[in-house]
Amino acid sequence: MKASSDKLRKRIDYISSFYRNNSRMPTFSEIANITGLRSKNAVFKLVNRLESLNYIARDTQGRLIPVSIANPVKMLGTVEAGFPSPAEEELADTISLDRLLIQNPSATFMLKVSGDSMSDAGILPGDMVIVDKGQVPKSGDIVIAEVDGQWTMKYLKKRGEGIMLIPANHKYKPIKPQNELKIAGVVTAVIRKYK
Amino acid sequence: MNEQPITIQSWPSAILHLDADAFFASCEQAVNPELKGKPVVTGKERGIVAAASYEAKARGVKRGMRIFEVKKVCPDAIILPSDYETYSLFSVRMFEILRRFSPDVEEYSIDEAFIDITGLRRLYHGSYEKIAHAIQETIEKELDITVSIGGSLSKVLSKIGSKHKKPRGITLIPGRDIHLYLKDLPVGNIWGIGPNTAALLQKLGINTAIEFAKKDEDFIKRYLSKPYIEIWHELNGRSIYPVTREIKSSYQSISKAKTFTPPSKDETFIYAQLSKNLENACIKTRRHNLAASRLIIFLRMQDFSHSGIEIKLNSPTSYPSTLFNALKEGFKQIYRHEKLYRQTGVVLAGLMPEDKVQRTLFDDNVKIEKMSKIYSAVDSLSKKFGKHTVQHGCSLPTKSQSQHEGERGDVPQRKLNILKGENNRQRLGLPVLNIRI
Repeated sequence: MKASSDKLRKRIDYISSFYRNNSRMPTFSEIANITGLRSKNAVFKLVNRLESLNYIARDTQGRLIPVSIANPVKMLGTVEAGFPSPAEEELADTISLDRLLIQNPSATFMLKVSGDSMSDAGILPGDMVIVDKGQVPKSGDIVIAEVDGQWTMKYLKKRGEGIMLIPANHKYKPIKPQNELKIAGVVTAVIRKYK
Repeated sequence: MNEQPITIQSWPSAILHLDADAFFASCEQAVNPELKGKPVVTGKERGIVAAASYEAKARGVKRGMRIFEVKKVCPDAIILPSDYETYSLFSVRMFEILRRFSPDVEEYSIDEAFIDITGLRRLYHGSYEKIAHAIQETIEKELDITVSIGGSLSKVLSKIGSKHKKPRGITLIPGRDIHLYLKDLPVGNIWGIGPNTAALLQKLGINTAIEFAKKDEDFIKRYLSKPYIEIWHELNGRSIYPVTREIKSSYQSISKAKTFTPPSKDETFIYAQLSKNLENACIKTRRHNLAASRLIIFLRMQDFSHSGIEIKLNSPTSYPSTLFNALKEGFKQIYRHEKLYRQTGVVLAGLMPEDKVQRTLFDDNVKIEKMSKIYSAVDSLSKKFGKHTVQHGCSLPTKSQSQHEGERGDVPQRKLNILKGENNRQRLGLPVLNIRI
């Protein structure tokens, strides 16, 4: 059992790295090449197995679609100490850091923070924020907005009929847009890289 | 006779042509929102206008104008170096958005696309015009740039539509309206008809697009060749050119040219520029599994005059090492001492698929095999660590001075402010907004 699951693990790694390098899934003969399997039938069985384990899927024409095989970072599931993990059957479905941080790839931008008006929300100068232009801003969201000609990042709050922009730092005052409020995007994540 | 509709069928097929408005300048305005509404010009590093925002165009700035002229006609213009990395990210996203609407998207150039939306009305519960509006709105919302869209029965006609109203225009030309749009259009403005064909047509008494379209087939066939007969069909609403989905994979030729400022007299430096272009062209050639059978070299002097030479290669190749002899030879023939040069370029032509290359008896097969191993190692190193991780020695002098010396501002913002974890060769594939908050 252990040996066979190791073998499977390795094959998954090969396919996964093929996908990462080529941005597409391998064909059956390519799978045979990279895994060292010698017959198409063996590949077919492997593919069926991976499909049943939800690593990959197939479209209506039988082409392979990556599911969790595309994602190099593994989520750490709960671990019960002392109990041998029945490896492959239990691997949690995984997503990549990219997918975790970016919901809307074609509408997502980065922005480097320079001010400290959101420091109590945990956004500090030098941090990177991920800005989604495709989302409809809701009350309570952190937004990038242009207020009366000035750019700012604040909490968006609906107060009765009006809209307020609330900082997360007592040094700054809430802003009530006088003439114009343009929202450039919703902040969906903050990234701070130490090294 | 020209008042009569060309066809009474409204939409036997529906093809959109999308053209981004002042694309490079619009991208700059999208990532630098404080530039909105201001005259923005890109191309500083080349000394020539690559794109001008509509605000700048209104002040008389045109594409291809020299930068010092821009400063004369529009002193407050904001002149930026081109940031091709950001423009490419926007371009890729634009095509991704289009593919949400239809699978049949042709990436015609960095800022233009054709989209076949025939039959999609039912899916989107609305007219073709409504689909065009939805595309325009989505791009504007997600990318913050505007595009103009033309739509009609064929590619040639949809291209007329997208030019009709700009910026942020939508012009749909159903079959029964084609004649209205062709009436006043000079024949030389039709996509695919160049100045020579236009002159020929004028000799035959054809001045406008409608006169061309209404000629009978016998006449067209007597005087014109196949490409123009196809254009004639397209103008009449019969779609000939399909919208091709695949990313461009067949090339006639691959060319790489780079300008450097300040201009140089230094032979070693100029040759290094040339050999770097050759390396770049070869990288692209190998990426598409092609091999070139002709090499063209050109040098451009400071006064914009140029000289070039074409060299036929003994056997098709995509490896710089096998090309350096020819390159050196050609360079010696066209290089003049004491001249100031501003640009070098390389064209690899006569391309054929690598695996179709016929080896001759006199080819050194062992050497070719070795070469292929070396360069596939070079290519995989580049993939991992960035382009030009491994480089030929003769290209190294390009590093002695930056491509465009002078003010710091000649390097795009994105390359100056790199993020932690990025390096000069590899950066995050997300556009970075330039807002101080």
